[in-house]
Amino acid sequence: MYPAPFRYHRAATLDDAIGRLVGIGEGARALAGGQTLLVWLKMRFDEPTDLVDIGRIPGLDAIEHDTKGVRIGALATHARIARSPLAKQIPIVGDCANGIADNQVRSRGTIGGSLAAGDPSCDWPVLLTTLDATVHCRGPAGARTLPADGFVQDLYATRLEAGELITGVSFALPGKGSAGAYVGFKRCAPAFPTSSVGVQLTLNGDDCTQARIALGSAALTTIRAQAAEAELSGRTLNAQVIARAAEAAAAAADPVPDQRGSPAFKRSLIDALVKRGVEVARRRARGETVEVSHEYY
Amino acid sequence: MGWTGTSVRRKEDDRLVRGRGLFTDDELEPGMLHLHILRSPYAHARIVRIDTAAAEALPGVACVLTGREVAAQCEPFMQIGPPPCDKIRDLPMAVDKVVFQGEPVAVVAAATVALAEDAAQLIDVEYEMLEAVVEAEDALSDRSILHEAAGTNRTWQGVFEYGDVEGAFRDAASVVRIPRMKFHRFASTPLEPNACIAEWTRQGSVEFLCNNSFPGFAQQLLAPGLRLKADQLHIRTYDVGGSFGNKIWNYVYMALAALASKKAGGRRVKWTETRTEHLLGSGHGNERTYLDTEVALDRDGVITAVRSRHIDDCGAYTRYEPLGCVIWSQVLPATYKLRNMRIDFTQTVTNKCPVVPNRGYSRMQQLWFMERIVDICAHELGIPADEMRLKNYITQFPYETPNGCVYDSGNYPAMLAKGKELIGWDRWQREIAAGRKAGRLIGIGIGTTLDSGTNNFGQARIVNPFLPFSGNSEVCTMRLDIEGAVVVCLGTTPSGQGHETSASQVVADVLGIDPSMVYVRPGFDTAWNTFVGHSGTYASQFAVTGLSAVHGAAQKLKAEMRRLAAFMLEAAEEDLEFGTGAQGPEVRVKGTDKAINYWYMANLVNNNNAMLDESLGDVTLNVRHVYRPPFKVPDTERKFGNLTLTYAAQLHIAVVEVSRETCRPQVLAYAAVDDCGTLINPQIAHGQVHGATSHGIGAALMECLDYDETGNLLTATFSDYCPITALNIPDIAWGNIETPSPFSYNGAKGMGEGGGAPLHTMSAAIQDALHGAGVIVTGSHHSAPRLFEILQQPNRDEAVSVERRGGKQGRR
Repeated sequence: MYPAPFRYHRAATLDDAIGRLVGIGEGARALAGGQTLLVWLKMRFDEPTDLVDIGRIPGLDAIEHDTKGVRIGALATHARIARSPLAKQIPIVGDCANGIADNQVRSRGTIGGSLAAGDPSCDWPVLLTTLDATVHCRGPAGARTLPADGFVQDLYATRLEAGELITGVSFALPGKGSAGAYVGFKRCAPAFPTSSVGVQLTLNGDDCTQARIALGSAALTTIRAQAAEAELSGRTLNAQVIARAAEAAAAAADPVPDQRGSPAFKRSLIDALVKRGVEVARRRARGETVEVSHEYY
Repeated sequence: MGWTGTSVRRKEDDRLVRGRGLFTDDELEPGMLHLHILRSPYAHARIVRIDTAAAEALPGVACVLTGREVAAQCEPFMQIGPPPCDKIRDLPMAVDKVVFQGEPVAVVAAATVALAEDAAQLIDVEYEMLEAVVEAEDALSDRSILHEAAGTNRTWQGVFEYGDVEGAFRDAASVVRIPRMKFHRFASTPLEPNACIAEWTRQGSVEFLCNNSFPGFAQQLLAPGLRLKADQLHIRTYDVGGSFGNKIWNYVYMALAALASKKAGGRRVKWTETRTEHLLGSGHGNERTYLDTEVALDRDGVITAVRSRHIDDCGAYTRYEPLGCVIWSQVLPATYKLRNMRIDFTQTVTNKCPVVPNRGYSRMQQLWFMERIVDICAHELGIPADEMRLKNYITQFPYETPNGCVYDSGNYPAMLAKGKELIGWDRWQREIAAGRKAGRLIGIGIGTTLDSGTNNFGQARIVNPFLPFSGNSEVCTMRLDIEGAVVVCLGTTPSGQGHETSASQVVADVLGIDPSMVYVRPGFDTAWNTFVGHSGTYASQFAVTGLSAVHGAAQKLKAEMRRLAAFMLEAAEEDLEFGTGAQGPEVRVKGTDKAINYWYMANLVNNNNAMLDESLGDVTLNVRHVYRPPFKVPDTERKFGNLTLTYAAQLHIAVVEVSRETCRPQVLAYAAVDDCGTLINPQIAHGQVHGATSHGIGAALMECLDYDETGNLLTATFSDYCPITALNIPDIAWGNIETPSPFSYNGAKGMGEGGGAPLHTMSAAIQDALHGAGVIVTGSHHSAPRLFEILQQPNRDEAVSVERRGGKQGRR
């Protein structure tokens, strides 16, 4: 429960952090809120020689939005996002931010860290995939952007290069008739979700013109349920259509058996959560206020 | 009794809420060493080689200990069980092989706890894997034996048979058969993990500051284990953050800390368990399998007989077990009046963490079994659950059970009526019926349970006739301090139960003063001479043993004060009264202003004794009282006798809905009715009910210590084990009735364990919700994934069968 010894560096600027990470090389890890990394260090699953603390780099935690879109700095904590006007304006963001772990963790954990962890159970990669977000990165070779969809490539592996850091994420404001929901199921507040689902629909009445569905804890990475999206896009929503989409999403999942349940149970959860997510998105598109998030005992 | 029965504000809270408590880990001083335990990653393996050189060479490391060294300096701990348990070599550290994941294989004492862990990582252990047995029935095949010297994994077996079981089955109107049920493994998880600080002094004694909850017992095991005299162990506790029985067992770790201190030249060594260590190696609750259960009933649905085979899984070492093999029989027939029972009880070791008494210890497994029987029979015979209970409840008290236990008092039908009123039974019946029509899986369930308190240690002899244990006792010492303060020392080890407060209330009532004028020392200390072999906090007994000791001591002190006051005031003893005057607590001559205050009385005895007459030579104002409940040694052949003094009862009712979408069981309403006899401090009792209820709900819905087939614990962190927290506890409607115990001076019954009431209640409610879907609840854990599996494959056809016979009236 105590990490192996390491050197601690506090980076003053982004360039300072990148410089140190590149200079130290393989043994270095970037530390933001510590939600994932500190647990790993305490269990000694990982024993880096150096931690570069990026948590106090100024300007990386802004939450901004204008008519065109939303930009969230990598260091914005789940709690700050949950309390921001953004979470009210785009309820799916609030669903996600409010549902992560417990209050203490939400006050430390960051959106950038959640993406960089590459854990299939993390919530933000699912939400950002649902919203077709862009990940902003900067590394020794300069700045670049990557789509959130596919950013996590494999279990605990992302598309970040050595010394490269996430600086923020951005996504377009949902357009007219577009609404979404992020719903999950977990055993208790601090547990990782057993399953989670993000749904974003563009609706004209009950006619669905566009759908995006992403699944968390459903495979070794966040996955997009494109077959499920195809069941909804261009169709008039009714129970049968939604059931087919839910079934397609469950079929797309490849969950691993673990403490949280068998693959069959997790697939049945995904089926239920897709139906719930679509239902909430429909109601929100009609202007209703609906509170959802993770469900637990 | 002015203060008894009032919710006096808890004295302990002042320091606790201000962060001024002293928990073992709070103690820190320069030069103290920190212990890290290297634990086995494997459940069953031979230790081929251990190389500690690199660890010992790390700067800051004071010493490293391995099993060989420990074995050379220790005697194996006494085993309670009869042969073959006596062959089990139980040392605080594995020597040649490990028998559970998490068993200590080496320890490091170093300048910091992080350094100790760094060093432990440098210890090279070579293991040779052995086959692990994790299921009780598998272990009983002896295909892989844990303790080779014992020759078998079967550590205890006995038949508990009473009445005319064969006759009852012959005459039964119906027989219900339930081939298999299972009570799962969990632990009630105290907020503060195990911890101790040990110092092997130059004088050869050992000083312990720890959070052991049964030091009277720990001392008897530790002293011979460490090859010391009992008086050479100075054991102290102070604030303890919960125990629930789990901390009875940490003497094993106290021994390791003591040996590390010895090797480190007598420096103080602190060990504080981490959460993962706690889940892996601190002690779990008993896991029990019930096989071939048969229930005989008469034409009215009255249960006339039960026979069954029970297999208890006690993990890798028997230790405090196999007391669990008899403790369940304190509540053999639960709250029901059947007279014919036959339980064939077997205990086995498995390659899992050893079990330890856990809130509701061994009784809740039996109560759950009986409650499942009642509910399954009710559902299968079409009798409503409440009527089924009313048909079968014991109603006359005191009641002698078939095995000689005496239920002191109770009123189960009144509790049921109160529970139904609290939850709104009739309204829920309508809502459930409407809900089911709409396709909802919704049900209501009753759990009746007993919290048997103040155990007769004589029951240990039913397990092993040669054990030198019987009865029970507890101590209080009390004195009028040199300045006239009333100072009270207890033999108990409170871990949140408010003993300082309740004891003050009792003393205040005896002396006619305010509880704030009574100082009860926090914690336990062998140096106070306030302990016996039974001393500790366990088995739901403080209100009886602890407070009876306090009451006895207060009366002895009062008698001395009365004699002293009569002499000084030149009055007859019967003309005196105790109370509080202008100069504080005093004894005065009734109807006059002639009085002597406590300060002067203490002054006379301690500083000013030439004033006193020779006839007062024996007055010391420093008394000791040992309370002994009126127990006899049970008949070990017949397994018959009174095993517990008091029987508090709980009746819980829950409404639960299982989501068709997610299979999540959601508690829609919960009511808990408690009867622990006369309440001493209602608020404390209420808090205990709330805590026990929460623990039980957590156990039923969330918590399970799951192992894979290799003996690897799958729930070794809180995010996997998911202990219940405030976020998961439903609103609990609380009700209370008082049926005073005729066997305690104050009418109180021990309480706090709650008998696992929510486990029975949740199983009953889920049974009710899912019976229509073809489900019989035969397990005690109801997580969503488990409910999903059972709904996928409804089990009613295999789980139960009913044989109905015409004709004869079944016998009672």
